[in-house]
Amino acid sequence: MIKHIKNFYYFYKFSKSILFFVFLFFTLNFQTSLSFFSIFEISTPSLVSIVIYLCIVRFNINPSNIILLLTGFFHDIVIGNNLGITSIFLLIFKYFIFRLILEKINKKNQEEWIYFTIIFIFSFSIVFLLNLIISFSLPELSPIFFHVGVTLILFPIINISINFFSYVSRLIKS
Amino acid sequence: MVSGKPSNLKSFKSSKNFNFILILLCLTLVFLGKLDLIAIRNIKAFLSDFLAPVTFALNKPVKEIAGVFEDVKSAGSLREENIRLKSEVRKLKVINSKVSSQELELLELRQLLKVLPERKNKIITARAITAPGGVFANTVLINAGEDYGIKVGQPAISSLGLVGYVVNVSLKTSRILLIIDINSLIPVYLTNSNWPAVVQGQSGKLLTLKFLSSKAKPIDGEVVQTSGHGGRLPPGINIGKIVKSFSGKFYVKPIIDFQRLTYISIITNKTSQSMSSKNFDGFAPLQKPKSSINLKGFNLSGKRVIESPEN
Repeated sequence: MIKHIKNFYYFYKFSKSILFFVFLFFTLNFQTSLSFFSIFEISTPSLVSIVIYLCIVRFNINPSNIILLLTGFFHDIVIGNNLGITSIFLLIFKYFIFRLILEKINKKNQEEWIYFTIIFIFSFSIVFLLNLIISFSLPELSPIFFHVGVTLILFPIINISINFFSYVSRLIKS
Repeated sequence: MVSGKPSNLKSFKSSKNFNFILILLCLTLVFLGKLDLIAIRNIKAFLSDFLAPVTFALNKPVKEIAGVFEDVKSAGSLREENIRLKSEVRKLKVINSKVSSQELELLELRQLLKVLPERKNKIITARAITAPGGVFANTVLINAGEDYGIKVGQPAISSLGLVGYVVNVSLKTSRILLIIDINSLIPVYLTNSNWPAVVQGQSGKLLTLKFLSSKAKPIDGEVVQTSGHGGRLPPGINIGKIVKSFSGKFYVKPIIDFQRLTYISIITNKTSQSMSSKNFDGFAPLQKPKSSINLKGFNLSGKRVIESPEN
């Protein structure tokens, strides 16, 4: 009986991970396809980092490292990026979230926009440097600044919208 | 408000080392990918084939919605667009009448000089499956691969000009490296002055001009075309126009709008050639022909010159 329950638990965990993988892969694809809009012609925002941040910090969902690795790997194949770049970004991003927010600095859990900014810029800088080393040339910086800027602008908007929806749903329930 | 739960923290501490191992694994993957090993290329090709329908299905709704937005946006400027198009049609009609008369002359001259006839290009047109989005990579996946005879190195064009070239081919899909990508280098020449150069992408909107002679004086708006040097790309395909920056440096603005790529054509009869000393032509200077080698009775632009009997 206990063995069956254990099996059921593992199956539940596995299916949950698969669902999260599909969700992240969908988000990354959606992020890429935003470039069809003329407003994101230069570069698209990093929606996946906002999603991961909110999942870990707000909804207490901890995406496993393997899931992040696989999502990044498949996304790199889809967009033709250097294999492993997106995975590194996602893994570093997750590491910084835990290191800065949950473990040390932000124990009061406030000023999340500033912390998101720090974490995102840190992780993105590492990946950008890695890309510089690989390609041996400096790309045009305007798309990169646009990518970072739009992501940082979108974060509070998405955060406020989630707050608003949760407030409305609570109102309806009460 | 943020809610850092202790359960998350515990699981993080246990997986910290695992996280570092995975980051190291990814770094190894990055450098292995850069080595361009055949095995990795094949895995990439197989997975691209596998993921192509999923990506296409996920991109399609967003593309359609973006299309609707663009239609609504363009509807506002229909009147101005109509006026602009009418004047353009008028200009084109004048040019067309000139061109048709010059074409006959050109054919006559070709026959006189016994110029080798140009080979007709065999073209395969396919649909772009993915968007060229991505901060570090500018590539597009198309739904035609080895089964249509596509090979690595073949040029990809649209009705306006060069889009890029094929960098990876699988059975059902091919990946095209866009000319705006930082890894793309195209041998070109400036059409007015005939100076050769190489354009490199910057992962942005403009292309940089490299190896352009210091004697060359590019003109703002001058058309840039492929030179065909190296034998990889056919000559005469439009790349873009010269633009001058505020600092006085010259760039090339691509003629193609990469965000609105729906169909891409691949020139399949142009096979990629290996860079051996035997078939490498080098950068021969493309100087304008001197007047002394002109045919008698024709000026530099190929027009007939009627000489007066006194001369």
